[in-house]
Amino acid sequence: ICSSFLDLVKKKLRTERRGIHVDQSDLLCKKGCGYYGNAAWQGLCSKCWREEYQRARQKQIQDDWALAEKLQREEEAAYASSQGATSLGPFSKFEEKKTNEKTRKVTTVKKFFSPSSRTAPKKESQDGKTPSPSISRQSSMETDRVSRDFVDFLKNLQKPGREIHKQCRAFIESLSCKKDLSADELSECVQDFYQNMSDRLMSHFKGSSECVEQVMDQVEKYIMTRLYKSVFCPETTDDEKKDLATQNRIRALHWVTIQMLCVSMDEEIPEVSDNVVKAITDIIEMDSKRVPRDKLACITHCSKHIFSAIKITKNEPASADDFLPALIYIVLKANPPRLQSNIQYITRFCNPSRLMTGEDGYYFTNLCCAVAFIEKLDAQSLNLSPEDFERYMSGQASPRQHDSDAGWPQTGPAPSTVATNTALAQLHDNLEALLGLSSRQENLMEAAQSLQSDLVSWQESVQQEVKDILEKYPLEIRPPAASAIDADNVENDRLPPPLTPQVFAG
Amino acid sequence: MASGGSGKTYSFKVVLLGEGCVGKTSLVLRYCENKFNDKHITTLQASFLTKKLNITGKRVNLAIWDTAGQERFHALGPIYYRDSNGAILVYDITDEDSFQKVKNWVKELRKMLGNEICLCIVGNKIDLDKDRHVSVEEAESYAESVGAKHYHTSAKLNKGIEELFLDLCKRMMETAQAEERLKGNGASQSASSRRGVQIVDDEPQATPAGGCCSSG
Ligand SMILES: Nc1nc2c(ncn2[C@@H]2O[C@H](COP(=O)(O)OP(=O)(O)OP(=O)(O)O)[C@@H](O)[C@H]2O)c(=O)[nH]1
Ligand SMILES: [Mg+2]
Ligand SMILES: [Zn+2]
Repeated sequence: ICSSFLDLVKKKLRTERRGIHVDQSDLLCKKGCGYYGNAAWQGLCSKCWREEYQRARQKQIQDDWALAEKLQREEEAAYASSQGATSLGPFSKFEEKKTNEKTRKVTTVKKFFSPSSRTAPKKESQDGKTPSPSISRQSSMETDRVSRDFVDFLKNLQKPGREIHKQCRAFIESLSCKKDLSADELSECVQDFYQNMSDRLMSHFKGSSECVEQVMDQVEKYIMTRLYKSVFCPETTDDEKKDLATQNRIRALHWVTIQMLCVSMDEEIPEVSDNVVKAITDIIEMDSKRVPRDKLACITHCSKHIFSAIKITKNEPASADDFLPALIYIVLKANPPRLQSNIQYITRFCNPSRLMTGEDGYYFTNLCCAVAFIEKLDAQSLNLSPEDFERYMSGQASPRQHDSDAGWPQTGPAPSTVATNTALAQLHDNLEALLGLSSRQENLMEAAQSLQSDLVSWQESVQQEVKDILEKYPLEIRPPAASAIDADNVENDRLPPPLTPQVFAG
Repeated sequence: MASGGSGKTYSFKVVLLGEGCVGKTSLVLRYCENKFNDKHITTLQASFLTKKLNITGKRVNLAIWDTAGQERFHALGPIYYRDSNGAILVYDITDEDSFQKVKNWVKELRKMLGNEICLCIVGNKIDLDKDRHVSVEEAESYAESVGAKHYHTSAKLNKGIEELFLDLCKRMMETAQAEERLKGNGASQSASSRRGVQIVDDEPQATPAGGCCSSG
């Protein structure tokens, strides 16, 4: 294998005159850690390279932040100036949009690929809880995107759009100046702002509440995406404490069965258990949304799945007496993260017109009811004797054992067991998928490591080859070869030496 | 929370209360979908239904909220009916107990919401008049004594239901208009004058531009 390689090296050595200068120090890591470096890693060893890479990545994230903010300002400036020139007609509008799109693409590409050596990145978080880089990067990109969408949306409104934008900006700035407001005061500010804005829009759109609602949805999205970090589960409240209490309460109620709640969902029907799983997923997903209306939408999706499950089971439309127990059951199964914080956040910052009369509001109210029920739940609310309730709560007995003792007419596993089983099966599936992923990642890591060691040993072998060659063919300065005319003449040796110029003194 | 004014759309929230089996679901499904005991019903749920009306040229969006009526959920009532504009309290004319339940609800609603809420007491299943256990006189005089209106309906025969909802809407509109007039008397700037609101206003008359919904 090596012989052809050796040839290659020899050739190289012959053709490149200056190339033979191979020094041991050139092969080592530039950081001087003693390991071999690699040109692909800018002369560093793998360890030092990784460290360096991490540092660069951190910096890039910060730079992205700065860039996003800068873009936002530019966008605003461009927006303001484009609004100034209103007489340009539709075509120029189109052009403007096109260039906008172009710059957007360029900047995204830049964001991902430039090692970006900009300086003075602005630190984002003001308080103690610094979000992890990946989250802050993600959220900055989301904020950026939402801001763009908002501007794009407002462009269609022309002059009033500019007005709306200005007011929203001013409002966000005014709030960021007031750091010491309580959650209720913050809520009141935001609600007042919604009220004022929608009053104005109402007179602008001459009473078309659909138009007003559309704009208000965008206003809510823009404002709340930007305020989210500072007003969700703020430290001035005991939201976090309540979250923990609810979480623990739900855990303590793990023994509650679907029969105790009189839920009309038969989880032995695959379609039903499918909807149950989806409902659980939806309600858990609520925590990941930032805009109150998006959180509401998660509750609504969850509710729709519950309705489907009931409809399939009962074959008739669900009434509130079917729905509420089912929702309670779903909440108990899901134990959604930061449930109280999310409910408080929606209550404080959602556009009230949605919450009061809309369909979303109905489901939200039911969720509030479910949480209130879970908090106050006692023996009576589950049709249990106080003694049984106590024993289940304290973990002394589990209802399933009790049921079989009492000889309940049950064939096959109880629906709750099935539910647990399907949940377990899902959990199992997920675990398997995760395991698969991690083993694939391990393989990848192994491959990368072997590649790395290959590279190192390759370099070592090259070095060794070079050494060998150097030893085998020591460089010696030979007298220049004979002139070209008689190069092929074998008898050259026998010829008398060529005439050498003679210097005569004089 | 009613929103609206002259030429605007009113949005009303109406809660539905009553014991199990009195016919709440039947009433609403009959009103919103004109269906009764239809096994092949396409409706996914009957707990939240809406109806759009046009009353004397004004648009009304009615949202009807079914409430969980079981005893163990009783304490949750206030969460359901906060901010509602109207309440429909249903009893079964063949069931004396269900009428007693209505009385309890009325007490609670008046205590929690005062006179802002329009109350309707509804005796359902009048097609079963031969089995009537609640006298017409008693029910009507009780309703009057608590400032509520009384209606007789049959979800089965579709009787009295349109009248019930139309009448309720008219009453809620009157209440909303009275509230607006009150607000008009100097209370209108109350919201904007509150702390924390910063409306930048250098162009007081924003010129309306066409195509408000052009973005879809
Ligand atoms: N004869 C007659 N039966 C009715 C009428 N309205 C409802 N029913 C019947 O009464 C029963 C209960 O009706 P629902 O509409 O389910 O009653 P509900 O108040 O919604 O009951 P819950 O959801 O359990 O609280 C059903 O069998 C209906 O068919 C009516 O006007 N006349
Ligand atoms: Mg019902
Ligand atoms: Zn190194």
